[in-house]
Order: sequence, then structure tokens, then C-alpha cells
Amino acid sequence: MGKASFVVRRTLQLVVTLWAVGTVLFGLFRLMPGDPTSYVVSSQMTQEARQQLIESYGLNDALHVQYIRFLENLVVLNFGQSFHSNQPVTDIIATYMPNTLVLMLTAFIVAYALGITLGVLSGWYRGSRFERSTVITALTARSVPTFYVGLIVLWIFGAELGVIPMSGMTSLGTGGQSTGFLDMVFTLDFLRHLIAPAAVLGFYYMGYPLLIMRTSMLEVLSEDFIDVCRAKGLKERTIMFKHAARNALLPIITAAAIALGYAVGGSVLIETVFAWPGIGREMVRAVLRRDFPVAQGTFIVLASTIIFLNFVADLAYGYLDPRVTYD
Amino acid sequence: MVRSEADMKRRDFLKATTAGGTVGITALAGCSGGGGGGGGGDDGSGDDGSSGDGSGDDGGSGDDDGSSGGGSNLPTYTYVNNAQSYNPPRHDAINLIASQFDEELGLDIEVDVLEWGTLFSRVSEEYDYSFATWHTFFVTEPVTELNNLLNSGNTDPGQGNYSGYENEDLDGMMADYLGEPDDDTRIDLAHDIQRTVVDDVPMMPITHMPMLGVYNNNQVDNLEADLANGFNSYWTMVNLEMQGGETVLKGYWPETLSTMNVLGHNGENKHVYQFNMMYDYLVQLDNNAEVATDVSLATDFERVDETTMEYTIRTDHSWHDGEDVTAEDVAFSYNYIVDNEVPYYSPQTRFLEGAEVVDEETVRINMSETYGPFNLGIASIIPIIPEHKWADRDNPSQQNIEEPVGSGPMMFDYWEQGSEFGMTRFDDHFAPVDFERRFWRVIPEASTVWSNLLSGDLNYEPFGRLDRQLNENQDEDNISVNSELAPTFWHFTANEREEGLDDPVLRRALYESIPRTPIVDQILFGFPEKGFNIMSPAFGPLHTEDVTEYEESVEAARSRLEEAGYSYTDAGALQAPE
Repeated sequence: MGKASFVVRRTLQLVVTLWAVGTVLFGLFRLMPGDPTSYVVSSQMTQEARQQLIESYGLNDALHVQYIRFLENLVVLNFGQSFHSNQPVTDIIATYMPNTLVLMLTAFIVAYALGITLGVLSGWYRGSRFERSTVITALTARSVPTFYVGLIVLWIFGAELGVIPMSGMTSLGTGGQSTGFLDMVFTLDFLRHLIAPAAVLGFYYMGYPLLIMRTSMLEVLSEDFIDVCRAKGLKERTIMFKHAARNALLPIITAAAIALGYAVGGSVLIETVFAWPGIGREMVRAVLRRDFPVAQGTFIVLASTIIFLNFVADLAYGYLDPRVTYD
Repeated sequence: MVRSEADMKRRDFLKATTAGGTVGITALAGCSGGGGGGGGGDDGSGDDGSSGDGSGDDGGSGDDDGSSGGGSNLPTYTYVNNAQSYNPPRHDAINLIASQFDEELGLDIEVDVLEWGTLFSRVSEEYDYSFATWHTFFVTEPVTELNNLLNSGNTDPGQGNYSGYENEDLDGMMADYLGEPDDDTRIDLAHDIQRTVVDDVPMMPITHMPMLGVYNNNQVDNLEADLANGFNSYWTMVNLEMQGGETVLKGYWPETLSTMNVLGHNGENKHVYQFNMMYDYLVQLDNNAEVATDVSLATDFERVDETTMEYTIRTDHSWHDGEDVTAEDVAFSYNYIVDNEVPYYSPQTRFLEGAEVVDEETVRINMSETYGPFNLGIASIIPIIPEHKWADRDNPSQQNIEEPVGSGPMMFDYWEQGSEFGMTRFDDHFAPVDFERRFWRVIPEASTVWSNLLSGDLNYEPFGRLDRQLNENQDEDNISVNSELAPTFWHFTANEREEGLDDPVLRRALYESIPRTPIVDQILFGFPEKGFNIMSPAFGPLHTEDVTEYEESVEAARSRLEEAGYSYTDAGALQAPE
């Protein structure tokens, strides 16, 4: 099978997977106990008014009618309108997603750059004190809850030393001053606010690529071509980075693709601790408040991103390793 | 062993709350994040955090082996509880009460920990519960809400009377009250209503909650509360004084606002507090819940007959966009809300027929049936909206409003969703505020809020979070805490549809055995007052002390039951009379 037919086949699989995800999401939210109007309406509202509201949301229609409408809208990327804010869900995603992406991508880049480098070095210097300390650091990063690290960072560097801001993406009371998202992102104030949450998240995410890279390096270093490189008299640094690390990178590709996909969903805990207005908090809020359109929309975007990036990772495998075929 | 409330020891308290905590953690597995005080009548203040879905879990009652209540000829009762993360103190309080019912009163109790939406549906729509407790708001007009909660005609699912209490005499008293235009007669009727409700115990307050005004006293001063909205009211804001050259009122809320649509919100406090400043209402109330015409859009009013009110409005006032506020706008607001059956205002519109312009400064409002406390229950609740903005909008409750235009003392400035909301002073308003701007930053984490409050980056705490951090920080030099009794309470409600709970003797005994003092002192750090009457003293003359007083004593409860023919098995299980 050639590359083209592989892409076609995987694209069809993608569509089927997305349909399955959408169907499961639709069913799950409607199976959840509780009335979606209980958060939307006031307890003082009359029963007639409540019924009127339920009808206006289309929730009194038969389930199959709601399902068909949901699929029709999904095809044209219309996720509907929030029960709570009456805003189109696409607008809500467009509001919160960039905030999440800038935080998560910063953390992701920091984590993978550091994680891969430290993983290579710890694999190369196996048995050394350096290896032991990086492994301990990686395990600590993965084990300690991020919100706990976040609170400690806030307490020490925010409350005690006053060197980092305590909350949000901009200084208190400065809302409404920037003309757009990019206008805000490229300010010193924003960068000051970004450092702490990105560092905490980066620390957490760093452990995974570090450990994978180290293990992968250990496997690669035992292969014959490394001995051949040494026999050829190549420099240690060249062998380490150009030959061993490049060949050890493959498992990282899959891990990175999935991690990047999840990053789109944000980090609820870090967004809460640092009062970062991201999509993760909004997603959880939508689920807890039975705001079906927002919950479905955000989860579908998250699932689509993960599925798509996984697909990209499959393609990248073939590119990075000629031994991998598309059969 | 029989114990009085005073014997409730810390060990018992910890035992009960720890058991509940375990359930709460179980219920929360796999769930985290923001959320908050919901609509639907639950806390808008003091609630924080997420809700886990613990549907089906039980526990925390101290009845691990199911033996303590064994042998009772009464059924197993279900006390529905919110997840611990949703409202930790209330979660602990419910576990404590359940433990008391189970271990001391001989009932078989299960505690079901539920996510808030499920809990609300189970209680208010499905009536699938035995006991319920949450934060109930009576706002300014208590009998309107009581009539919804206790009227015999409201017992069908979702109609409001979730206790299932039926009393035709009380129905009559409440109808008389609501239709009575004379204030003094209404007060007498309110007292009769309280005596009846407290006698029959269909719903009783466990604690009367406080309204808290927490602020940085270097920057803010003179906070006065009103009955409906506490220290976030219109009255508070127009009387508040800035200190030390500060010109910005800086507050927070743990979660984002949902909407800028004054006709499309769900009554959560976070919305009410903003709209109260952006819009005018025909009348505004002072800190004694009396109409204050000097700060109201209407400078005078008159009840023309039982179903007609006339208001004289200011003719020199404008909207934030510069257009004049006219009598036509006022009449339009009432007619528009009635004609479009705006859901949030349905408790008000059911009494309204419509409004008409009499002359350029007079508006007449016609009721569909007599409603006595019109100013308290309607004229101070319905916002006045600009006709030139709303006339062409269909389905108003589902409009997505991006830049609201009102005529209140604050103008919309910006709304960065999930992050910050800001308003600026409307200099032409007849009741100007002392600050130039007010913003609310979204900060979910309480410790961050307190750091900001102490440093002066925030200068007031509108959410009223009643927690350990408040207890620890309230004595800081630059922090002041004003406290007033609120018209809100944690209720205890027994579902009278359940076997045995239709007996007022059992309900009285249950109420007596609720450890109200430990709940106030240990769980709520002493801020609230012990509940004793369905209408708290916050209601001023409407409240009466002349109601049945219930001891807080398990001994008294057991004596009451035994006198009524209840008995106990050897295992200590309560037996109802044959």
C-alpha cells in the first residue's frame, strides 16, 4: 500500500472515529443524572417558565431528533449556543482556546526541549550521579500534584517575594486595555504572568519525555552502529546527538503528539490556581452545569485534535524512519 | 445513651465529618475544576469549587454496619448531601446531622452525596429524598417565596412545594398577605404565618446566615448592607466612600460571569450584583428595606387601587448612550418583560398585566391580581431597559448582549471572559458612586484572594466566602469585616411524602436534635446565628420572636417522641406508634 492510499484509509478512519466520539459524547451528557435547567434557572421561576426554557433548548424533542440535529450541526461545525451565556459555542472556544494554547504550548516546548536533552544526557551517562538525579527529578515532577507545586510557587515567589503576579494573564484592573489577543500576548506584563504557570506545567510535563528518551537512548546505545561510530573515530558529542539521539527520538514523536493533543484541553488545576482563563476550566464548568452545547463542543475539539495529531504522528514516523512502511 | 446537644464533643464532630469527607473524596474521583454557586436557588455567595457526582454513594451517617437503626418500623431515610468540594461546610453539617439522627435518635439514615444539579432535581422536581439542606434566599419579600415553597397547591413535581406540606389555613394566610395593600395588616399576617410554620416545622432554618462586608480599610469605608443583596447592593455602592486617594473599587469572583443579558441571566448573585449597578429600577431600597426615592428612578409612587400602582419618574435622566430615559421606556420595560414571558422574571410577571404611560413623568402599572408588597417584590426587581435597544429583539432571554446599555450609576466598560469585568462611573446619574471604576477579577483560589486583599491589590471581597481564611485574617489591621444578619438560611426540610415524616411530632423532634450550635461554632466559625424562625430578624417588623421555641437537645426530642407514643427497641431503634 502506498502513502496516498494510507492517507485516504486513515482519513476515513478519522471520520468514523469522530462520529463515534460525537455519538458517545451526545449519549453521555444526556445519560448524566440531573436536569440541565437546574443551573440555568432560578428556584423562584414558575414551572411554566421552566418548561418554556426547556423547549427553547430543544430538550423536549425526542432523543433521535436531538441526535440527528446534533450530527447535522456537527458536519458544518455548528456546536450550537450555550445554555448559560447564549453565546455561540464557537465564540466561547475562540475566546478561551488561545489563552490555553499560549500557556500549554509554552509549557510543552519548555518540557520537551528540557526533557529530551536531559533524557539524552542521562541515557548517555548511565550509572552516573547525573543520571540518578535526573531520574529522581523526573519522577518527582510526574508525582507531585501540579496544583500543589503551583500553590507553593505562588506562596514563595508571589506572596512572600513578590516577584511574580498572583493571578490572571494581565495585571489587576488592566482589562479592556489591549485591542486584541496578540496585542496582549506581546507585552511584558503578559510574559510576567505567563512565567509561573508555564514553568510549573513545564516541570510536570518534562518528566515524561525525559524518562522515555532515557530508556530509548539506552536501547539505541546497545546497538552495533554505535560501536561502528566509535570505531570510525567520531566525536562523543556527535555520536550522542547525531546518531544515538536521532534514532532514539521515535517513541517521543507519538508521546509528543498525544501530549500536544491533550494540551488543547488545558490544565484545569493550573488554570484554577493561577486564575488563568483557559478552556480547561470552561470545559469543566460546562460539564458540571450541564451546558451540553459547550461541553460537547469543547470535547469534540479536544478529541479531534488528539485524533488528528495521532494521524500526523503516524505520517511522521514514515518520514523519520525509512524502515517504517505504510502497509 | 442519650445526649443533649451540649454534649456534642469534638471527637464526635470529627468522626462525623471525617466519614463524610471520605464519601466526598470518593464522589469526586476523577473530577476537578471550577464551578460555583449555582442558580436554582443555591448559594451564590460562599459556594466555591467544583461538584463531583457522587450519585448513589452513601455514607457519613455513622451507620456503617447498618445496625444502629436496625429494627425500626420506620423506613430508611435518605439525607441528600452536596459533594464536599462544592460546599465543604454544608457537606460536613449534613453528615453531622445525619449522624445525630442515626446514632442518637434511632433512625436509619443514609447520606446520598450528589452533584448539585442532581441534588436539586432529586429534591425539587422528583421529590426523591427524605431530608434536604441547602442555602435558601428569601431576598426582600419572604412570603412570596414561602408561598411558592409551602402552598398546598404547589405540591406537583417541580411546582415548588418540595416538602409536600399541606395546610389550607396557611394557604389562606399567605394569600391574604400577598393581596393586602396595608403594611400593618401585612405585618400581622406575616407573624401568624411564622407561628404556623414554626409550629408545623415543614421547613426550618438550621442557621441564619450573615451578610459579610470584607474590605481593605485603607482604601474603602462606609459599607452599608441592604436586605436583598447585602454588601453588594445598590445601597452599599452609592454610600460607599473611598479612602487614601483610591479611585477604583477592586473586587473578585471565583468564576466568570455567564452573560451580559439582564433578561437572560439565572439570578446568580454574580449577575444580579452587576446588573443592579448598570440598570435602574423603579424603586431602590435602603438598608431598612424601605423605598428610598432620593436614589430611585421614581421620585414618588401611589397605590391607586388594589391592582394599580402609579409612579412619578425623573424626566432629566439619560441612558448610558445619551438617549433620554422616558416614561415610555418604563412602560415598555414592563410590557416587554410580560409579553415575552421572560423566564427569570416569571415570579413577578404572574402578578402583572401591563403598564401604560399616563403623562411624560407618570407610569401606571396594572396588576393581574392584587399583590400587596409591590415595591418590595416587583418594582425593585424589574429592570428598566431602553426601548430603542430592545424593541426589535425577539426572544429576549436568549439574546447574546455584548455591550449592555442601562441607566444605572455604573456603565459597562469591558468584559474579558473568564478573566475580568469592568464598569466605569456614569457621571450623570442621580445617585453617583464615589469611585471612578469597579472591576471584578476572576480568582478561583481563596488564598490568592486573601494575598491580594492584604496587599491592597483588591480592596473588597464581594463573594462573602465564609471560611477558615476569613477567620484567620479578619483581625489584620488593614482588613475590616462588617457583618449583618441576612434573610437567607440553611434550611432543614423533611419530605412529608415519606412514611412517618408527615407527623409533625417527628419533625419537631428531628429539628430539636439538629446540633445547631456546633454547626455555627465549629463548622461556620461562629459567623451565622442559630436558626429558630423561618423569617429571620433581618426582616425587621415582619419578623416576630413570638413563635414556638425548640430546644437544641436530643433528650428533649426523645421525650417528645415518647410522649407521643414512639418507643425504642433494645437496639435503640425508634418505633412509631401503632
